Amino acid sequence: MSNFPQFNVLEEAILVEKPEKKEPLGVLFWICVGWIGLNIVGAIFANVLPIENPLFQNYSLVNAGPSLHHLFGTDDLGRDIFSRVVYGSRVSLSVGAGAMLIGFGVGAPLGMLAAFRRGRFDAILTNVMYVLLAFPAIIATIAILSFWTPRTLFKIIVVIGIASVPLVYRVIRTATLSVATKDFIVAAKVQGATDRRILLRELMPNIAPIAISFLLIGVATVIALEGALAFLGLSVNPPTPSWGNMINESRTILQMNPWLVIFPSAALCLFLLCLNFIGDRLRHHFDVTEVKL
Amino acid sequence: MSFDNKKLLAVKDLATTFHTAGGDLPAVGGVSFDMESNQTIGIVGESGSGKTVLSRTIMGLQQRTNVTVTGSVLLSGFEMVGASEDEKRERWGTEVAMIFQDPMTSLNPVMKVGKQIDETLRVRLGMSKADAKARAIELLELVGIPSPQYRYDAYPGQLSGGMRQRVVIAISLACSPKLLLADEPTTGLDVTIQAQILNLLEELKERLEMSVILVTHDLGVVATRTSRIIVMYAGRIVEIGSTREVFAHHRMPYTRALLESSPKVSNASHTRLTTIPGRPPNLLKLTQGCSFAPRCSYATEKCHVDRPELEAADEPGHMFACWNPLPKTRRTVKK
Amino acid sequence: MLRYVLRRIVMLIAICFIISVGSFYLIHLLPGNITTVIEGPGASPENQAKLYKLLGLNKPIYQQYFVWIGNVLRGNLGTSFISQTSVASTIRAALPIDLEIMFLSQILAFATAIPIAMRSARKPDGWLDRTFSAGSFTLLSVPTFIVIVLMVLFISVKLGVPHTGPSSYVSFSQDWIGNLESLALPAVALAIGSFVVYYRVLRSDLIATLQEEFITMARSKGLSQRRIMWRHAFRPSSVALLGAAGVNIGGLLASGFVVQYLLNIPGLGYTLISAINMSDYLLVQGIVLVVSVGVVLINFIFDFIINIVDPRISRE
Ligand SMILES: Nc1ncnc2c1ncn2[C@@H]1O[C@H](COP(=O)(O)OP(=O)(O)O)[C@@H](O)[C@H]1O
Ligand SMILES: [Mg+2]
Repeated sequence: MSNFPQFNVLEEAILVEKPEKKEPLGVLFWICVGWIGLNIVGAIFANVLPIENPLFQNYSLVNAGPSLHHLFGTDDLGRDIFSRVVYGSRVSLSVGAGAMLIGFGVGAPLGMLAAFRRGRFDAILTNVMYVLLAFPAIIATIAILSFWTPRTLFKIIVVIGIASVPLVYRVIRTATLSVATKDFIVAAKVQGATDRRILLRELMPNIAPIAISFLLIGVATVIALEGALAFLGLSVNPPTPSWGNMINESRTILQMNPWLVIFPSAALCLFLLCLNFIGDRLRHHFDVTEVKL
Repeated sequence: MSFDNKKLLAVKDLATTFHTAGGDLPAVGGVSFDMESNQTIGIVGESGSGKTVLSRTIMGLQQRTNVTVTGSVLLSGFEMVGASEDEKRERWGTEVAMIFQDPMTSLNPVMKVGKQIDETLRVRLGMSKADAKARAIELLELVGIPSPQYRYDAYPGQLSGGMRQRVVIAISLACSPKLLLADEPTTGLDVTIQAQILNLLEELKERLEMSVILVTHDLGVVATRTSRIIVMYAGRIVEIGSTREVFAHHRMPYTRALLESSPKVSNASHTRLTTIPGRPPNLLKLTQGCSFAPRCSYATEKCHVDRPELEAADEPGHMFACWNPLPKTRRTVKK
Repeated sequence: MLRYVLRRIVMLIAICFIISVGSFYLIHLLPGNITTVIEGPGASPENQAKLYKLLGLNKPIYQQYFVWIGNVLRGNLGTSFISQTSVASTIRAALPIDLEIMFLSQILAFATAIPIAMRSARKPDGWLDRTFSAGSFTLLSVPTFIVIVLMVLFISVKLGVPHTGPSSYVSFSQDWIGNLESLALPAVALAIGSFVVYYRVLRSDLIATLQEEFITMARSKGLSQRRIMWRHAFRPSSVALLGAAGVNIGGLLASGFVVQYLLNIPGLGYTLISAINMSDYLLVQGIVLVVSVGVVLINFIFDFIINIVDPRISRE
């Protein structure tokens, strides 16, 4: 929902190497990496960090604005928004990582193999993926999640992960194709290198830059999707906090407590921005210029 | 060089430098020559010697970003270097037109070829829709396209390379330019088609009283079709003179190497071609000396440190840039 | 061209078939006894019989599909046991609202993205290009559901602009001006998301196209810059734009759901979410089917337009 288009923008980005100097990554790149790192650490160690229990309801202090004691204020049930934002990142990060693990775990090997083997295998697989791609994946995701109750984090990850397979397949296949026809691969084939060796030693390192930047943007897309699902009430059930469902809960009390919208929104957007920025810088750095599929 | 208005084209000290990530690249490094009306001159040189950049610079087509053009190009007395896009636009098509190297990329793939011709007629000559279409079909016929009414509605992708190049020629002739710059008009085409296109150009030149600059890497192409030849190497003129003189009395070793490497239609298929040993120089790392020196078997110490300027040979108008020129004897090219 | 269209039609039918199988199978994802879950509080022997007739539940599963698809093809998506209204008529009432929102937002998005991308591409790295490139890159990271919540927060709640807040929807037949006013905010919110994509795709494609030889050729014909941009550069570049628009439809629809959900606009999205919350599974199934087929059809149409715009595609 929202943000889908990112995928499409990147689908068009495929590697063309030029022997020029690499563009430096820049300071902002490292700041973004740092921010992502901080979020990951926060998500993993949320329960050992000295922050409040995100479920603890303090009825004497509801809808309070930011203060020293409650950095981001409290929500309508008196829960600490800061600690809910920190805990909420767990859902987003697990969905992002888990779904892409499935998407890349299945899509990437298939894509590489298809592009490397060509022939019948490639033709059939590519056609199947093409049909699946035409399928409105978002609608399918909503549909499955609405019937496959009760909704758990695991189910959400599986559904989104599977939905991303055809896209990952297509990007990796195209990337591999563009590398597989290069001279050094042909030379390796002629010299009798084993397929396994060519795939792992020659192709893999060459498509890694595209794969990584696509992976980052994929994670961003999936997190945005989960956010939207949560906003519609189709993700993990409250009271477990997630950025999306926090925004959903705040919807009815916008007037009273705008902080409840602003902080999780900012956390989500900032996280996505950093991922997109890192992906973008990497593409520039490795000089993956845009070539149409 | 005079600012004589009768001269169709006067190029003086023309230099084009690209500012690239690797440094400044002098693709054209100070070129001067001029040209009368109704002439055909040839510009030859290996690929990468700056012919395309030179033709585009003469046209004034260089984009403004990352390029510096200095020197002067007087086209019928009008200074093209530094002219505004509007001023140049007035002359493009009517005074000077260009045929590009690759007919596969120089036509708009999503526009019918007929439209690409009559667009020029309507915009530049203010013709009505119907007149323009009629004229476009005439032009297609003029360049030898069979059943032009039918081809008018074809997309470039539906035409062969030779046909496309004919369309490009038709477009460039649409506003009857005085000067036509043909940048390797036949490089991408079959040998038989090449001859057809070159003959067509020659015929049209006579018929429409144009002047033509024929750019090519193949001396065989210009031998019979031009009155003068400019030999380029690494962005500079290394020899210039009447076609007869350059073929018979060339003085520059590079010209000879080029002649020896050019295929002759007469003894086609299985003659072995000599290729010039070595590679063209990296323009980002030009030395003080003659750029051809590293590949030249006549090169001396001096050649590597001091660049020769063009100097006059015996016949007026024949000049060459070489410290150790070939002797002034008449020669035939080794078969 | 004809062969291409035929191939696409075969593909279209295949996809619609898969969608129908998927939508059909959704019901079987439900936990426990299907009939009791679907009927919910409306369980009665009479309703039970209706449901069996619709879904063919007493038959083997592949036959059930044929019973169901037969009903669907006759326009019978069943009757909701929750609201006692026919699913088809509920969908028919809600659908125009989605179409209107999408239509308005796409008009806005194209009308802004195209001219700005054209200007941007003419001077890459100029101030306009830098501003919009950076801005659109940033907006790429702001999901539409946040855009819409923030817009409601600032425009409807803080500024108190009338006819923009939740539940301010007015139907078209009732008052068309009021209708447009009430859909302005959703249209703008969705347009922002589309704008970002269209602008970026068109800009980068235009920049690539402007490097092409045929553009230099067009310049050398003495055509004005304006004409070159619109007549020569725009059309070949718009293929990517149309492609992006086609692919964008699914996401756009979903964003539309979010907007409807937040502002209580009774379109398909709102209906869908309420149906999910009320466990009105037949209605959910119907909406999913209709929306999926709709998206695929729209994609098909976009494909077709792309072919007309760029004759190279069907030829390859
Ligand atoms: N836009 C450009 N930017 C940088 N270098 C260029 C550009 N165009 C041409 N060159 C360089 O200028 C030199 C001459 O190129 P060109 O005129 O195309 O040669 P020719 O037409 O004789 O084959 C080449 O070394 C080429 O790399
Ligand atoms: Mg050239």
